[in-house]
Amino acid sequence: MFGKAAYSNLVRRFSPSSAPGPYLAVQPDDTFLVSYPKSGNTWVRFLVANLVYPEQSLTLTDADRIIPFVDGPSRTYFKNMQRPRVIKSHYPFQARYKRVIYVVRDPRDVALSQYYYQIKRGVLNEQYPIEQFVAGFVEGVVCPYGSWGEHVAGWLRAGKKNPELLLIRYEDLLRDPLEGSGRIAGLLGIEANSERLTLAVERSSAKHMRTLEAKEGDRWGSTKGTRQDISFVRAAKERQWVSGLPPACIEKIETAWPEQIKELGYKTAAEALADAADGAVAQPNLIGSPSGA
Amino acid sequence: MIYGIKSIAKRALGIDKANRDIAVYPDDTFLVSYPRSGNTWTRFLVANLIYPGQSVNFTNIEKLFPDAALCSSRALKRTPRPRMIKTHQYFDPRYPKVIYVVRDPRDVVLSYYDFQRRYRQIEDTCPLERYVDDFVSGKLVSAGWGTWAENVASWIFTRQHRGNFLLLRYEDMHTDTLREIARVAEFMGIEPDPALLQRAVELSSAKRMRQLEQAASKDWAGNRNCREDIPFIGTATAGDWRNAPADCVRPIETAWGPLMKALGYQLSTSDQTTLESQPFNPAMVPVPQGWIES
Repeated sequence: MFGKAAYSNLVRRFSPSSAPGPYLAVQPDDTFLVSYPKSGNTWVRFLVANLVYPEQSLTLTDADRIIPFVDGPSRTYFKNMQRPRVIKSHYPFQARYKRVIYVVRDPRDVALSQYYYQIKRGVLNEQYPIEQFVAGFVEGVVCPYGSWGEHVAGWLRAGKKNPELLLIRYEDLLRDPLEGSGRIAGLLGIEANSERLTLAVERSSAKHMRTLEAKEGDRWGSTKGTRQDISFVRAAKERQWVSGLPPACIEKIETAWPEQIKELGYKTAAEALADAADGAVAQPNLIGSPSGA
Repeated sequence: MIYGIKSIAKRALGIDKANRDIAVYPDDTFLVSYPRSGNTWTRFLVANLIYPGQSVNFTNIEKLFPDAALCSSRALKRTPRPRMIKTHQYFDPRYPKVIYVVRDPRDVVLSYYDFQRRYRQIEDTCPLERYVDDFVSGKLVSAGWGTWAENVASWIFTRQHRGNFLLLRYEDMHTDTLREIARVAEFMGIEPDPALLQRAVELSSAKRMRQLEQAASKDWAGNRNCREDIPFIGTATAGDWRNAPADCVRPIETAWGPLMKALGYQLSTSDQTTLESQPFNPAMVPVPQGWIES
């Protein structure tokens, strides 16, 4: 009556051991950590986990347990979690999520980061042309959660606003992680003094996360079974696209979503060039990251 | 537990309602709107346009142009391609081609109030003021589709100005049905033959659709388990809210004013010098407060 595919669909939809995904039973006190893939979600997750549990320095696997991915562990796991829960998700706009930390990152860096991640996972080989990848990125077909532009527009403009939705720009968090952590703590209702914030920021520095990845890389959920010669925690810097992406790719992304890019305060390559010519190099946008390497 | 077993069995048999789980094909076109926004009217208009050889009515509409919330997964899979599908879902990145119908939320809530009384989801005694408050704060059964603003904004801001998205306003369809259905024809790649368009408009008039609703009786799922004194086809007018108490209008304008204005819906609080409809312009919508803190 029904084939193998139908059967596995059935299991995925109803089995208590499969991930809840879009069927998660949302509780009114849940907080969701949402972003488009490769926008710094893992970093923020690690930071938040360390903020919630300051007693000890956590491993990457600990953080996965504390803030589980909605497409990761089983329904039973989510059901038995201690409330209030913080849950990681990559889904496009979900009206069901009532409290959201939304992490956004410059789409040109996201494209680059996704490209390397797919090579690490063995989905793409190193010879795969980045131009072709970016074409798919702009179409929204390289990732199961739709395109970057739709993701951002849906989450940020579909009616939710502060304080239900806290927007964290990856680049702002790089420049001033203490400020961003303070805002996150405020949303979660964590009473955080500067000592607790500093500790969480230090524990989630790119350098520390790289050390942890070296130790846990072969068993951590995000890297298990992937190429161990390429690291998951990459440069952890902004504006990697300036040197990493061919000009045609940069232009392609900039013309795909001009409104989102502008409203989020990301400068186009042309604008950044004009600023530099005006001697306005002191713009915070052009300064490298204070954290990490 | 019983519910779980029932839904597993339904799913295995393919008689579950697809809803958000629908399997999407690349040649699908979706007709999307918030409930009570003219979706059924548009559905009849489009169906009459696509099937000029048939008499579209409530008994065959689910075959010709299925509703993802009423039809089973199996029925949807068996619908000949390219399919036209009706839904009320908020943004889903998988929908390849979308016709979105938007209606003044002040009229939507009035129509929804009657609709929920029809299906015995609320009592006649429920005060309209309280109903409006629940509508705005997302406490009605319709909250599964998001609030009106969430649903509208999630589609418009992601897809507006793309070639695979057509925005229709219920009010424009009311003013000039022929012009709007011609836009649909163009979007669907159908030759806009005036006689064909005229026929679709006439066969989908409110008067005729009321007759069809009566004639379908219980053969149509939408006519089952409901009160017969309140029809499915509502007033089919634009601007009913002007007769509603101010207490029922103000909460909506307060919550969603900027989005309503951007869609060309004049607020009762602003001066009413012109009621000329303006095209939708996303740039007119201010960025929500607290989005970017400088």
